[in-house]
Amino acid sequence: MTIQITGTMILQGIVSGLLAGGLYAMVALGMALIFGVMRVINVAHGTLLMLGGYTTYWLFALYGMNPFISLLVSFPLLFLVGVVLQRFFVARVVGAPELSSLILTFGISIFLSNMAMIAWTGDYRSVEFLTGSFLLGPIALSKPRLVTFCFALGVTFLAFLFLNKTKTGKAIRATSQHRELAQVCGINVRRIDLLTFGLASGLAGVGGGLVSVMFSIFPEMGQNYVFKSFLVIVLGGAGNYLGAFLGGLILGVVEGLASLLLTAQLSEVIAYVLLVILLLVRPTGLLGGRR
Amino acid sequence: MKRLAWAIALPIVAGLAVMPFYVSNYITTFTIQTFMWIALAESWNIISGLTGYVSFGHVSFFGTGAYTAAILISKAGWHWFPAALTGSVTAASLALIIGYPCLRLKGPYFAISMLGLNEVVRALVSYFDSLTGGGSGITLSTMSSISPLYYSMGGVALAGWFITYWILTSRFGLRLLSIREDELAAEAMGINTAALKLYAFLISAALPGIVGGFYARYVSHIEPLGTFPLLTTITMIVMCLFGGRGTIFGPILGATLLSILQELVWTRFLFLHEAIFGAIIIFVILLMPRGILGVLQQRYRLPRTI
Repeated sequence: MTIQITGTMILQGIVSGLLAGGLYAMVALGMALIFGVMRVINVAHGTLLMLGGYTTYWLFALYGMNPFISLLVSFPLLFLVGVVLQRFFVARVVGAPELSSLILTFGISIFLSNMAMIAWTGDYRSVEFLTGSFLLGPIALSKPRLVTFCFALGVTFLAFLFLNKTKTGKAIRATSQHRELAQVCGINVRRIDLLTFGLASGLAGVGGGLVSVMFSIFPEMGQNYVFKSFLVIVLGGAGNYLGAFLGGLILGVVEGLASLLLTAQLSEVIAYVLLVILLLVRPTGLLGGRR
Repeated sequence: MKRLAWAIALPIVAGLAVMPFYVSNYITTFTIQTFMWIALAESWNIISGLTGYVSFGHVSFFGTGAYTAAILISKAGWHWFPAALTGSVTAASLALIIGYPCLRLKGPYFAISMLGLNEVVRALVSYFDSLTGGGSGITLSTMSSISPLYYSMGGVALAGWFITYWILTSRFGLRLLSIREDELAAEAMGINTAALKLYAFLISAALPGIVGGFYARYVSHIEPLGTFPLLTTITMIVMCLFGGRGTIFGPILGATLLSILQELVWTRFLFLHEAIFGAIIIFVILLMPRGILGVLQQRYRLPRTI
C-alpha cells in the first residue's frame, strides 16, 4: 500500500507538529533551567509532569474544575513539591559527580511513579473537556491542541519575562552562567537552586495539566518527556533558553512530518534517531557555538 | 588477604557446582535467577561503576541477546548454547552504534540516550514482526532438564566476576577509574578516554547479551513487553549500588542479598517492590554512596580491589 502525500498533508503535519512543539518547549524549559543552574539532569522531570496531570484530573473529576483554571493550583503545588525535593534530596548532590544526581533523580522518579501506581492504579483516565476541531481551509486544527498550544506559549512567555526582567530571574541566569562568580556577587545560590527547581517543577506540572487535556493520564505518562526534553535542550544548545524554545518547535514539526510516513510505533523512534544524528554531527546544538 | 579471599571463594564455587544434585528444583531455579542478577549487576558495574557513565538502558542488551538467541534457535535451528553466545555479538553491535556518538562526549548525553534506547529497541522488535513474532513473541520447545542452564548461567556470572577482576587489577581498569574520578585530568595525562569508555561499554553490553540468550532458553517464551522491562534495568542498578559500585564483589553481594529479599518478600507486591527499589536508590546515593562494601572497606581497611 502506498500513501499519496499531498501538499495539504505536509502542511497539516507541520501545523500539528508546531502545536505539539509548544508544549515540548515549555516542558523542556524547566529541565533546561535546572541543568543550567545546577548541572543536574532531572530524570524525575516526567514524573513531576505526571503529578501535574493527576492534579488537573482530580480537580476536574471531583470538583468539575476547568482544566485550564486548575493550572493555577498545579503550578504552586508542584512548585512546592520541587522545593521539597531540592531542599531534602537534590541539594545534597549538586556539585557531586554526575552519576549521583542522575541516579538520585532516577530513584525519585521510580519511587514517585510507583507510589502513584499504588495510589491511583495504572488505569488510563482522561479529562473530557474540549473536543472537536476548527477547520482552517483544508487544515484541521484540533481544539484541545490549539488551546493547549496558546497556554504553553503564554506560560513560556511569562517565564521568559520573569527570567529577563525581574531581579530574581536575572540572578537565576547569572547563576547558570557562572556559579562561583554569581556567589561572589552576593547571590545566594542555594536559594536560587531552590527557586529554580520549584519553577521547573511548576512548569512540568503545568505541562502535565496541558497534556491531560489532549491525552490519557496514567502513572507513566511522563516518561517520554524526559527523553524528549533532553533532545530539545541538545537541539537548542545546552544553556540556551531561547534555543530550547526553538528546539521544542523543531522536534514537534519533525514528529508531525514523520507521522505522515511512518507507523505510530516507528514515529516514536524518530526522536531517538534525531538525537543520535545530532550528537554525531553537531553536539553543541543548532544554535550553540563552539564549546 | 588474597589467600583468605580464595579460601572463602573456592568452597562457595565448589559448593554451587555440586548443588543441583542435592537440592530441590525450586532452589535450583532460584539460584539460576540469582546467577542471572549477579551477571547483570556485574555488567552494569563495568560501565557505570568503573567509568561513572550511567547506563539507564542496560535491559536493551539483555533483550537483544534474548531475541538473537530465540531467533537463531527457532528459525535457524541452532543449539541454544552457541545461539546465546551469539547474543553477545548483537548486543555489543548495538552498544557500538549508541556508544560511538554518545561516549565521545562528556556529560549526561550517554545516560539520557540510554534512557530512550529501551523503547526504541522494543518498538523495532515489535515492528519487524516477521522475524520476531511481533507482540505474540517467540515460543521455544521446553527443555527436559534445567541443569545445563544452571551451569551456563553460573558460568556467565563467574565470567562477569573474572572480567571485573581482570579489569580492576589491570592498567585498563586504572584508566577507567581515572575517567570516573576526573575525566579532564585523565585526558591531560594522555589517556584516550573516548576509546576506553567505548571498550568498557562493549564489554559491559556483551555480558547481558549472553545472559539474555540463556534467559530466553530458560523461560522458553519471549515477547516484547516481558523482555524489555524497565524493572530489569532498575534491579541491576539497585543491586550494584547496594553492594558497592566499582568493586569486584559488590555486585555479587548486592545481587545475592536483594535476590533473596526479593524472593522472600517483595515479589508479592509488584509496585511496592519497585517503589522500595526507588527508595533504596535514594538512600544509597545520599547516605551510603559506596554501598555495603564501601562501608566495610572504610571500617575494616579492606584492599581496594575487592
